[in-house]
Amino acid sequence: MISLAGRDILHAWGKFIFTGVGLGLLIGVTLTMAGVYRGMVDDGKVLLDASGADLWVVQKDTLGPYAESSSLPDDLWRGIRGMPGVAQAANVTYLTMQVGQGQRDVRAMVVGITAGGPGDPGWPPQLVAGRQITRGHYEAVADLASGFRLGDELKIRRNHYRVVGLTRRMVSSGGDPMVFIPLKDAQEAQFLKDNDAILMQRRRTEANPAFNRPGVPGLLEAVIATQTSNSSVNAVLVRAQPGFAPAQVAEPIRRWKRLTVYDRPQMEGIVLGKLIATSAKQIGMFLVILALVSAAIVAFIIYTLTMDKIREIAVLKLIGTRNRTIAGMILQQALVLGLIGFVVGKISATFAAPIFPKYVLLVPEDSIAGFFALMAICVLASGVAIRMALKVDPAEAIG
Amino acid sequence: MIGMGGQGIRIEGLSKRYGSGDTAVLALKDVNMQVAPGEVVGLIGPSGSGKSTLLKCLGAVIDPTAGRMTLGDELIYDNGWKVRDLRALRRDKIGFVFQAPYLIPFLDVTDNVALLPMLAGVPNDEARKRALDLLTALDVQHRAQAMPAQLSGGEQQRVAIARGLVNRPPVILADEPTAPLDSQRAMAVVRILGDMARKYETAIIVVTHDEKIIPTFKRIYHIRDGVTHEEVGEGRALD
Amino acid sequence: MKAPRLQRRTLTLLAVTVPLAVLFAYVALRSGPLAPVAVTVAQVESRSIAPALAGIGTVQARHTYRIGPTGAGRVRRIDVQVGDSVAAGQLLGEMDPVDLDERLRAQQAAIASADAALRQAEAKQAFARTQAARYEQLLAARGTSEEQAATRRQELALADAALAAARADGVRLRAELQAVRAQRGNLVLVAPVAGLVVARDVDPGTTVVAGQAVVELIDPASLWVDTRFDQIAAEGLAAGLPARVVLRSRRGQPLDARVLRVEPRADVVTEETLAKLRFDALPVTLPPVGELAEVTVQLPALAAAPTIPNAALRTVGGKLGVWKMTDGKLGFEAVTLGRGDRDGWVQVAKGLTAGEQVVVYSEKTLSARSRIHVVDRIPGVSP
Repeated sequence: MISLAGRDILHAWGKFIFTGVGLGLLIGVTLTMAGVYRGMVDDGKVLLDASGADLWVVQKDTLGPYAESSSLPDDLWRGIRGMPGVAQAANVTYLTMQVGQGQRDVRAMVVGITAGGPGDPGWPPQLVAGRQITRGHYEAVADLASGFRLGDELKIRRNHYRVVGLTRRMVSSGGDPMVFIPLKDAQEAQFLKDNDAILMQRRRTEANPAFNRPGVPGLLEAVIATQTSNSSVNAVLVRAQPGFAPAQVAEPIRRWKRLTVYDRPQMEGIVLGKLIATSAKQIGMFLVILALVSAAIVAFIIYTLTMDKIREIAVLKLIGTRNRTIAGMILQQALVLGLIGFVVGKISATFAAPIFPKYVLLVPEDSIAGFFALMAICVLASGVAIRMALKVDPAEAIG
Repeated sequence: MIGMGGQGIRIEGLSKRYGSGDTAVLALKDVNMQVAPGEVVGLIGPSGSGKSTLLKCLGAVIDPTAGRMTLGDELIYDNGWKVRDLRALRRDKIGFVFQAPYLIPFLDVTDNVALLPMLAGVPNDEARKRALDLLTALDVQHRAQAMPAQLSGGEQQRVAIARGLVNRPPVILADEPTAPLDSQRAMAVVRILGDMARKYETAIIVVTHDEKIIPTFKRIYHIRDGVTHEEVGEGRALD
Repeated sequence: MKAPRLQRRTLTLLAVTVPLAVLFAYVALRSGPLAPVAVTVAQVESRSIAPALAGIGTVQARHTYRIGPTGAGRVRRIDVQVGDSVAAGQLLGEMDPVDLDERLRAQQAAIASADAALRQAEAKQAFARTQAARYEQLLAARGTSEEQAATRRQELALADAALAAARADGVRLRAELQAVRAQRGNLVLVAPVAGLVVARDVDPGTTVVAGQAVVELIDPASLWVDTRFDQIAAEGLAAGLPARVVLRSRRGQPLDARVLRVEPRADVVTEETLAKLRFDALPVTLPPVGELAEVTVQLPALAAAPTIPNAALRTVGGKLGVWKMTDGKLGFEAVTLGRGDRDGWVQVAKGLTAGEQVVVYSEKTLSARSRIHVVDRIPGVSP
């Protein structure tokens, strides 16, 4: 027995490939959307991985430092460092702001990393070019996604930083590239206002008789100095000693230091749950809509192809072809169409992924699930056409 | 070639009613017909005479309301009872030749013909061999690899005839086979039908109103208002 | 007959499906999680590095003089402007004397009056002496009574005392005059050393309190850089080390300097070590006091040791180390580090030997089971 579906496809291969490509682009969009969702989840995970921390110590009762702003004194880390089970404790600041370079501005998350060396919590875990920061001030490591290159001069607030290293996939949960600078510079950047505001503040302080006492020289300068210095950080990153479970290390810190401490699973819950939840729902809706659209398209195409052949189907039935064989022919055509669509879709998604403005992560599980879903859609969608074909009266072949 | 002709085809008292009650239409009234193996008879009637209905009953496409039908050796309908697998019946026992060739456009000529034995379970090589034999007999073997769209009308018609014959059915129903053809080709078709009928001992019923070929039939059934009557034809010989 | 048509159609079909299939296979194998991770490797070299310490400093003047009155008063005039160079002893300004001049004159008048009283007392004393002497003579010649002579002697004693009082009065008044003069002298603001005026804090007519600075002077030759180094990166900081100072306003002109001293007291709050650096040669145009400078102190070169770029360091399982490539396979090696220099080279004290290959840059986080392939440059990084 020859394959009727195969012969029909070979005969009208141009139409099939063309239709398959069209369907494939739709499948590509679907796979890309799924990839966007995975990319967002990955952004969140990468953010937590990049910090190199087992625990995040933040201001009491805040969801910080990523989901909410949190402020801690910068000498708190010393007390935490001494707690049992703590191998390393490091200050860190995060601020999403515009970073200038030449004529342009890039939105980036500026991370203030504690003085120390590579391997400390908060420091970029690996580089793709250049070196880690060695000077205590005015050097930066930037992510490739920012578009900066080695040697670029960045302008953050009033200081200039030279890019000495590049990283890949160091992004905030919102997809903004990270720029790592020394902590003290970051504290200044987070806190220090522009010159006009500082002048205004100085004038107000000078006008205040409580601070501007003539009999107490030096008081005014001291007050102004405290106003223009910052001793806060956003969080303390803690690495636990091997042999200690992070949850075990967290409990004493919570109890005795009266701070909020999150371990990795809790942080993931916050980042993925609070930050990504809405977008995840949106994408889920899109996927459902796209699946429905794909189903409709496949159904329509197969229906049209079948209707074009309705005469021949009547003849086939008349000369004695089983209903099963005819249904099988239509079903096989739908599956082949789905297969072409999947191949084209996967290829187009892979090549479109790097161009997409958000990070797209295509995982094999999604592709495989998508493949089976597509095949199922093709089977169901061909049902309409099969019903039409089976209803055809062979007598119609006879005048 | 040994055919499976058996007794050819015989119809007794066939009736067909459409609808029920006051709006009932009696398309066929007590039709009797008999065609022997190797015989080619004509079936002539105006439109609305029940000709199509009779053809559909003969082709086991629709069920009659009453009567008996015997095909080859097999009783296929008897006053309400009918053979279970009509589709297999059509595939194995009845050959169709239509006004238009109705060849499957995505199969080549050989496969168009070979499809029928394949459907019956014959292995592909054997089926194609049988197809090629028939195509040769009908003098279109040189087009065996072509697609139907590439053939002329006459060639297509011959391929259609080959398809009708390939399963060696006891009966062939030909519905206006020469309508699109000129007289020379029409005669050729009639001659082929006659040759095939004799060779394979097949009973052939030709529904036609083509004036050119009616004289060639030895027996003719006329049908009008659902009633048939037999007539002796001229039986003119073909050159 | 059969061959050409079938071949043509098959060929066209193959021309479409085969590339598609190849692309698909490529996509499946080379991208996504199945793809190998691109890494660059480098060889561990034995080299000596010259570590340097980097800090941020401000230009300060070593000696700052804040000139002001010792008593509350009103500023009468200031003779210098900001930026003027003054010599030692130069008059800078003057406070309002108020009534001091009048007191001075009063004092002088009092002195004149005391002088007159002195003359009077002298005259009286001279007469009394003469009288006493005469009556002594008369007494000797029994020309007068003993009582008269005693009276005259007493008068002489009184006159002597009055003369002494008048003289002492004169001295007192003269001393008081000196005092008023000294006070008057104090109202003058004088430069204690040669220097540069950097601030004129009040204008004439303003009332100031004792101790408030009216004019600030610095000794421009004593400019130094007050520098802060992160304590963690200040190992080896000592007096006498050479350094480079880059002023913020002159980024392309580094200046040579030397560490004068490391402050014995560090900054507890900011966790920084403080040091003072002196310029080897002061620039012709002096930098403003308070300007920021980036300071790099050069330490002597260390002996050669296995050295790796600091980009190769990774933390795995809480341990700091590198990914080593042995025979094409990846293995993590924990290392103990020595010192590093400013260009990112770090010496390895324990864990690696020269000649071994280590992974420097990687696209993703590596694990022992990662599939890698070695490239010259990570894709996506422009040269």
